[in-house]
Amino acid sequence: MNKFRLLPVAILLMAGAAHAQNADSLLKTLDTADKRETVAATFKSTHVVLSHSSETEKKHDLDLRIRHHFGDIGGQFGSAHTLYGLDVASDLFIGLDYGVSDRFTVGVGRSKQDEMYNFSGKYKLLQQKVNEHMPINLTLFAQMGWIAREPFSNSEFSKYTNRFSWFFQSIISRKISSRLSLQVMPGLTVRKNVSDTRDPEALVSVGFAGRMKLTKRFSFVADYTLVNGLSRPTDLSQAYYNPLGLGLEIETGGHIFSLNFMNSEYILENNFITNTKKSWTKGGVRFGFTISRNFTLFKSKNKDPEKRSDIY
Amino acid sequence: MTWINNIKRLLLSGIFFAIQLNAMAQTYTSKNIKLALYSSTPLEDIRAATDKCTGVIIKDSREIAFQVAVKSFEFDRKLMQEHFNENYMESDRYPYAKFKGVLDQQIDWNKDGIYNVTVTGMLTVHGIDKKRTVPGKISISNGQVAVSTEFKVACVDHGIKIPKLVFTKIAEQINIKVSGKFNQLK
Repeated sequence: MNKFRLLPVAILLMAGAAHAQNADSLLKTLDTADKRETVAATFKSTHVVLSHSSETEKKHDLDLRIRHHFGDIGGQFGSAHTLYGLDVASDLFIGLDYGVSDRFTVGVGRSKQDEMYNFSGKYKLLQQKVNEHMPINLTLFAQMGWIAREPFSNSEFSKYTNRFSWFFQSIISRKISSRLSLQVMPGLTVRKNVSDTRDPEALVSVGFAGRMKLTKRFSFVADYTLVNGLSRPTDLSQAYYNPLGLGLEIETGGHIFSLNFMNSEYILENNFITNTKKSWTKGGVRFGFTISRNFTLFKSKNKDPEKRSDIY
Repeated sequence: MTWINNIKRLLLSGIFFAIQLNAMAQTYTSKNIKLALYSSTPLEDIRAATDKCTGVIIKDSREIAFQVAVKSFEFDRKLMQEHFNENYMESDRYPYAKFKGVLDQQIDWNKDGIYNVTVTGMLTVHGIDKKRTVPGKISISNGQVAVSTEFKVACVDHGIKIPKLVFTKIAEQINIKVSGKFNQLK
C-alpha cells in the first residue's frame, strides 16, 4: 500500500517537469532532420586525377571537360628544348558527361591518342549515409573505346572489332571526414590490339585514389593504378609502368580546374591503364590540366518560384 | 479507512493531472514552418526553400524559438545546393540554424487578431551567434496561431566568406522569409 502513496508525488514531479520544459528541449523533440541522409560530395568532381571518382553528375547537369597532357618534363624528350614538355601535346581530350538521373551518367568524348572515341555509362549503386547506415559509396563504370585512326600496318585491325576496347570498374569510396576521402577501384580492361603476345588481352587493375581538402575550394588529389604483376607479366620486352597522378583541384562554383603531374601520357582508362610507357623516375613525368564546366539543362522545369535561381 | 485514502489520492492525482495539462496548453509547436532564402545581385538571383523548420512558442515566458536543418534547403540546381552546404554553411559541422528569442510585447493569446511584434534573441547561423531584434507578425484565429517574419542576414556576421574567385554571384545580405502555423501542444 505504502508505495502507492508516492503516486501523487510522482505526478506532481511530472507536472513540474512539463512546466519546466523549455524551448530548447522542445525543439529537440520536434527535430525532423533525416537521420539516414546521404553523405554528399565525397569528391568535388567526377574524376580524381587520371581515374574516375565515385561521383556522378547531378540530374540534368551537363559537364564539358577539356583535358590536356603535355610532354615529358625531363629525360630524352624533355628539358629546355621542349620547354619541359610544354611544346608537346601527348594527349588531348574533349568530352561531355550528362546526368540522366542523380545516379546515372552517360558520357561521350574523343581523345587524340589513337583518335579514340569513348562512350561510357556510370551508375551510383550505393551511397554513403550518415550514422553508418551505409559506410561506402559504390559506383559502377563501363567504357567502350573505339580507335578511329588509320591502321599502322595492314594486319593491325584485321578484324574491325579489334578497334574496340572495353573497360569495367567498380569504384568504392568513403568520405572519411569532411577533408579526407579515399577510394579503391578494381577494374578490368579488355582489348584486342596487343603488341606483345605475352601481354594478356584482359588486364586486371586495382586503383587507389584520395582527396585531401586543403581549404574549402582547394584540394590535393592523387591516384595510382596497379597494373603490372596482376595479370600482366613484369618482364615484357616493352616496359610498362603503373600510372601515378598527383594534383591540385580548384573549385569555383560551376567550374573545376585541376592541375596535375603524372607519368601517364594518355587520358582515357582504355589507353593509360594498358599503355603507360613513361616512368616518374626517368623524367617521364608531365604536366596536365582539366577544365570542367557545368551546365544545368531543363532548369525551367522547376515551377516552384521560391526555389528558382536566375542568371542574368 | 483505506477508501478515504483512495479517494484522496484520486483527487490529488486529478488535480495534478489538470496542472500538467494546463502547463502543456501554454505551449505552441510547429514542425512544418516554411523558410525561404533569397540572394539578389545584378548578375544572379538565387532562391532556396524548406518547409521542415520547427518552432516553439511558450506563452508564459513569451519565448519563441525556431530551428532548421540546413541540409533541408532545396535549390533548383543540385550543384548549387551542394556548394551551399559544402562551401558556405558547412552543414556537416553546423547542421542547424537557430533563432531563440523573447517577445518584446505582451499579447492576448485568447483574443483573435493580428499582432505586430518584435522578438529579441540570438540568431545562430554557421555556428556563430548574433543578437538580433526581428519584427514579425502573429495572427490568432480560433486558437490557431500563425507567425510570419522577414529579415536579412549578413554573411559577414556569421563568418560566411564569399571568395572573389567564385563565378556565381552571392549577395552580402541574404533575405529570409519565415511563415508557419502553430498548434497547441497536447
